[in-house]
Order: sequence, then C-alpha cells, then structure tokens
Amino acid sequence: MTGVPADTAPSRRRLHWLDGLWPWLCAASVALSLLMLGALLTLLLVRGLGHFWPATLEEVTLRSGETFAGQAVREVALPQQPGDERLYFTGNRDIESVRWRWVAIDDIAMQAQPMDLIRLERSPWDDFIGRLVAIEQHDQRWEGDAAWQQLTSLLALPVSQRPDSQLLLITASGQAVQQPLANVVSAQAPNAMTWRQKTLAWSQSVWRFLSEGPRAANTGGGVWPAIFGTVLMVILMSVIVTPFGVLAAIYLNEIAHQGRLTRFVRIGVRNLAGVPSIVYGVFGLGVFVYGIGGSLDEWFFSETLPSPTFGTGGLLWASLTLALLTLPVVIVATEEGLARIPEAQREGAVALGATRLEMLTRIVLPMAAPAMLTGMILAIARAAGEVAPLMLVGVAKLAPQMPVDGEFPYLHLERKFMHLGYHLFDTAFHGDDVQAAIPLVYATALLLVLIVLVLNLTAIFLRHYLRRQRGSEC
Amino acid sequence: MLCAPWFANDNDMTSPRLTTSRQPLRLLQDRVATGLITAGGVGVLLAILAIGIFLVWETLPLLAIGDALALTTLTPLAWGTLKAALSALLFAIPVALGAAIYSALFMSARLRSRIKPTLEMMEAIPGVVVGFIAGLILAPWVERHLASALVVMIWLPLSAGLAGFCWHLAKTRLRRRLPLCWAGLWLVPWLAFMVTVALWLTPWIEQHWLGGDLRQLLYQRFGMDYATRNALIVGIAMGFAVIPSIYSLAEDALADVPKTLIEGAQALGASRWQALWKVALTAAGPGIFSAVMIGAGRAVGETMIVLMASGNTALLSANPFEGMRSMSASIAIELPEAAPGTQTYHLLILAALVLFIFTFLVNTLAEVVRHRLRRRYRQLGSMS
Repeated sequence: MTGVPADTAPSRRRLHWLDGLWPWLCAASVALSLLMLGALLTLLLVRGLGHFWPATLEEVTLRSGETFAGQAVREVALPQQPGDERLYFTGNRDIESVRWRWVAIDDIAMQAQPMDLIRLERSPWDDFIGRLVAIEQHDQRWEGDAAWQQLTSLLALPVSQRPDSQLLLITASGQAVQQPLANVVSAQAPNAMTWRQKTLAWSQSVWRFLSEGPRAANTGGGVWPAIFGTVLMVILMSVIVTPFGVLAAIYLNEIAHQGRLTRFVRIGVRNLAGVPSIVYGVFGLGVFVYGIGGSLDEWFFSETLPSPTFGTGGLLWASLTLALLTLPVVIVATEEGLARIPEAQREGAVALGATRLEMLTRIVLPMAAPAMLTGMILAIARAAGEVAPLMLVGVAKLAPQMPVDGEFPYLHLERKFMHLGYHLFDTAFHGDDVQAAIPLVYATALLLVLIVLVLNLTAIFLRHYLRRQRGSEC
Repeated sequence: MLCAPWFANDNDMTSPRLTTSRQPLRLLQDRVATGLITAGGVGVLLAILAIGIFLVWETLPLLAIGDALALTTLTPLAWGTLKAALSALLFAIPVALGAAIYSALFMSARLRSRIKPTLEMMEAIPGVVVGFIAGLILAPWVERHLASALVVMIWLPLSAGLAGFCWHLAKTRLRRRLPLCWAGLWLVPWLAFMVTVALWLTPWIEQHWLGGDLRQLLYQRFGMDYATRNALIVGIAMGFAVIPSIYSLAEDALADVPKTLIEGAQALGASRWQALWKVALTAAGPGIFSAVMIGAGRAVGETMIVLMASGNTALLSANPFEGMRSMSASIAIELPEAAPGTQTYHLLILAALVLFIFTFLVNTLAEVVRHRLRRRYRQLGSMS
C-alpha cells in the first residue's frame, strides 16, 4: 500500500465511505417494497374481515342532555382547536334521516355499553340501533327477554315461513317505532354476546357477504352477483382464449418457417402483452359492440330496434375483449413450453413414421400441456383483476337479471353483468354514502386480491413442480 | 424446416403392418390439420394486427376536421399522462433498481428464491385495489398530514444509512447475527419503527420549522394550490404498481452479468462500489434501460389507478400537489357516453392510438435491446 500515490488518497476515502453506504440503501429499497406490500395486505385483511365482527354498541349521553346509541368508528383531531372528535355510526336513517354523527369527545358526559342494545339489519332501510320493547303477533305479545328470544327463534326460520309480526322498538333518544318483521334480515345484541357467539356471528356474516346480493344501493348486503359475473366471464374468456392461443403458438413454433418474419411476429405478440388494457377496451367497443353487435341487431333483432340487443355492452363482448387481451399471455407461455421440448423427441417420432399431426397430438402436445395450463391460469389471473376495458364493453353497476337463469337459452350472452372489480370502483366512488360503503369495499377488495393471488400462486407452483419433474426426466 | 424429407419419402417408409388403404387417409388428415392450424394461427395473428388497423381507420376522419382542435383537446391529457407517469417513475426507479442491485449482488440465495416471487406478486395486485387505497385512504390522510408524508419520504433513506452506520459500529457477534445478506428482511421492522418515529416527531418539526401549517406555507410562499388527489398520490400508488415490473427485469439483467467480470474487477483492486458502478451496471446497462422502458410503458397505460387517485381535472400545471387527467382515464370516462361517429369519439380513439403506438414502440425498443444484451452475455461467458 506504500506504492499508492498521495494524491489519490482523498478520493479513495470518499469511495470507501460510499462503499459502506450504498448496500444499505439498496437493502432498504427491498425492505421498503416488502413493507408496502405487507402494509397493503394487512390493511385489507384487518379492515376487510374486521367489518363483519359484531361491534360493541355504545350509549352516549352528551352534556346537552341528548342521548344516542351507535358504534364508534374513528377519532380525528378537531380542526382549529385542541381535542379530538369521534365518529359514530348511529343507523336509523328512516327515523333520524342521518346515520353518522361527529361528536367532540369533550362534549360527552357519559358513555355506557348496556346489554340490551340491539342492532337490526333491515332490507329496505339500513341498520336500526336501539332497544326491543315487544313483539306482537296477531293477538299474542311478548315483552322483555321473552321478546328477544321470540325474535331470534323467528329469524332462525326460513323467510317464507316467518309469521306476520310487528316489532315495537325504541331508539336511545326515546322515540318509539313499529317495524314489520318481514323487513328484518338479522338481529344482534353484540354487547351481550360471548366470544363464541361473536365468532359464530362473524362467520355467518362473512357467508352472507359471499352468498347474497347487494342491498341499500350497494352499501350493504353481499357481492354474490359480482362473484358470479366475474367467474362466468372469466370461464367464457378462457374457453375462447385457450384454443386460439395454443393454435397460434403451435403455428408459430412448429409449422411456420423460422425466418425473420416469424421473429418479428413473435416480438410483436410479446409486445402486445404490454399494450394498455384500455386500448383493448376501445377495440372491443368499436369492433365487437358497435361493429359486429350493431350488424347482428340489424339482421336478427330488427324488431326491437332502436333499443339494442347485441349492439350494447354485454357478457359475450366482454369475454371476447378480455380473450384478446390475454391472448399474448397464452401464446407466450405455450411457446415457451414448446421450445423446451427437445428436438430429439420430434425427430424420433417422425423417424418412426408418424405424420406431423400424429407427432403433434401424441408427443408434443402432451409434453406441452403443463405450459398451456400455466398460460391459461396466468391469463385468468390477469383477466380477473382487469377493470378498465370492462367499463367500455358491458359491465353494470347493478344488473337486474343474472346472465344465467331458467329461461331459454339459459345462458344470456347479451346481458350486462356485475364484476367484482367494477363493483369495488363504483361503490367506492359513485355511491351516495361512501362512508357507509367503505367497509364493504375493503371486503370486496380483499376478496378480489385473494382470488388473483391464489390464481397466481397456483401458476407459480404448477410451473415450479412441472419444471422439476421435467428436469428429472431429461 | 421440419417438413420436406419425411413428407416426400413417406411411401417408401411404409411399415408392412399398415394397410395401404389407411395410408392416404393419414396423409390427408395430416394435410387438413396442417392447413387448419396454419389458418387458425394466421387468423389469430391477423386479429391481433386488426387492433392497430382499427385504431388508424377510426382516426382517419379527424384529418378532415383539421388538427388544431385535436391538439387543444389532447394537450392537457398528454401532459397529464406524462406527469402521472413521470411522478410514478420518480418513485419507482430508485426503489426498483436499488432492490434489483441488492437482490442480484448481495442477497443470500435462499432469501432471494423467496423474495423475488413475492415482489413479482406485487404486480398481480389489481389496479382497482391500489387505486381505491390511494384515492380513498391515502389521499385524505396525506391531505391532513402533508408534512408527515414529506418527512417520512426524506427520513426513510436517512434511516437506512443510519442502520448501516450502526451496523458498522456494532460488535462482531451482532453483525454475524444480522448479516448484510439478510438485511432486506430484518430492515423491514427497522423501517416500520423509523416511520413511527418520524410520524411521532413531525408535529413538533412542523410547529418549529414550518410555521405550523405546511399547506398554508406552500400557498403563501410559492402560490401552490393543494388538491386532495394529486400527482404525489398518483406517483406513490402507480410507483407501487410499476416497481415489480422494473425490478424483475433489472434483476434478471444484473444476475446474468458473468460473475467473473465482477470478481476480476475486484481482484484488480476495485472497491465493491467501483465494481458495481463501472462493471456490473455498465454491463447490464441495456437490460436496466429496457426494464425502465417497460415500466414507463406500464405507467403510461395504467388506467384505474390514475382514474381513482388523480382527481381527473384536465390542468396544465407542473405543481406536484395538483391533479391531472390522463388519456387512459379520459377514454374510460368519456368513451361510453360518446356516440360513434362524433368528433369526441374519434378524438378518444386517437388518444387510444397514441397510447398503443407509444407502448408498442417502447416495448419493441426494450425487447430489441434485451436481445442484444443476451447475445453480449453469451460472448462474455464464452470468453471466460
């Protein structure tokens, strides 16, 4: 080291200092990415699943003497002055015309959690929070505890067998209300529940979220039609995209002359995977909906014109558009699989006298089947999360009819459908009460992320497993 | 390539067991199937080509109208698209490249085989979910705590440096327990802790140095307006979505740099920094360039995140705290209402064409560069 000239010494020291610093910055960027991903998933999990947990109801008495009951949602610092304010969900929109209430914490004189507060989920209106006084059924009448037991036993019956009953309710501020039983979906007294009952209630409401249709302008109820629409659209799409994608890949890899043109086509197909999805949506709208759909209407459905049948967005056009969008994914994945098959296998088959068709169907395709499957799963995963093109070609915020029903021809390709991603977007941004919708939006987002992640993980594991198997074969 | 010899000589190779009556049938089947596959393949490729043709065809009527109108309508949208993409890339490029360098050159092989798929999984998270979190959760929070958000952004790299400094001071036993090759993992709680510290300290900093209210200060001193959904939010959200694609490609390029090159440089007396900067980054430069290009293509075309997190106001301002409206979001909002054949319809399709051409060119460039790079690596590998 004595040979180092004196004038390079300072620059070496500076470099040494950088040498120590930059690996840490790089490591921190990995950590930051992981942190963001983890934070996003945790937020979705906690808020999405936590919404279904029966929340404690509080009875609050203000300094002004006013009393109300509700569920505490969050606390925020008061603007321009010290102290916090708390947001309560109070429900009872039919009675008090608002269902949210901001209260400065300093104004609260007393808060309690009485056991007899109940929360009713109702079908035309949203939640009721208050107390149950009595149940009247024809000439019978139950009061107090007996009324609550009668209510839970009535709600356990199927909807069609519930007798005509009236609930006499009273809000925390003392207003009496009559409520027909027919409108009540479920009842809870969360303050009186044990942990086990709460867990049970939680799993029931998760199930209802997955299996019921939306209520109260998408701010309540479940997402079943959206799940159904998403799955149906994705199935249709994969039925369309898989054969065509595989066909194109076989043509490119096995039949076409491997020259410059084929290489250009291959690069072009690969690049189409990077073209924004909205461009495909524009193509779908212009060609499928206005072009093909418009012509179909003129030829076959001219009696219903000017109201369009196929000339407007629908299930068929949405699946076709997404099929086009995911075509490059399937082609690329299948081609990779085909390219990995050793040339010796093909030559061996041909040497034994097989025609090209026999070589393809008996040797090449079975060996490439896993790659095709991977391509299809990746296509499904991409399509399930895609929303932008669907907004142009046929998704609806609230479809009046399901695309599959008992009427001939059972599968209605021209109908609009609901989609989880669009449902999320619409409820979060176009609802009349975004505050009430946000917990459900979290749950929907969690569901969507879970579906997409599970599909992607399946593709990864499948590929990994098959590669290892292939590796032991060779 | 595969065809001529066996096709022509098939009759000579007939095995005695096959009756001659089945032979023509097999050949016919084969010809028909080949024809069908060719037709299908070419048809699919033509359908893909049709996208470009359709977009060009539908924008032709605009030529008759004249381009002045198109220019005035599309300029704010193009500006919005660029602004959104730039702010996303500003956030994504340093983080993604840093992560790529770390995981290609430092991370232990076992950790790397776990972390890489995890980060690539980020790409699968639907844009609509990221947009919802950004637009409805992050944006209102940042509006109320602007100073905290900015402090966290400055504080995070500093705290990473601080971690490195503490590590160098620490005892050897602790260093062995927390090695650099696992730092990607154990820095996560450290960063989370540092974010908490920053959030806790910010009100005090804001009170003492920033006059109590940063937004007020920005408005009075620089005349900057603040919109709830702005370029900052879009940058973070879309950066989050773009990071995995840049990371994945850049990491591939860096990991493929022949190890002999870096080892050779270090043997000749280069420090690790010099070996990285002068050798690894130079060798993988084209790959990193193509990774950034692919990321840019994705940022330009992303629709749902911009739609949900940008406020959709067509402004021509460079202020990072104001919203914008991008071309893709405009298409998503306006096209369903525009009747086919009207001027708006054609203009929106022109916007789609611009997006199509831009992303196609950028991706082709990236692909070509990557091809060249792969060839160069093969040469380098064969030399050693």
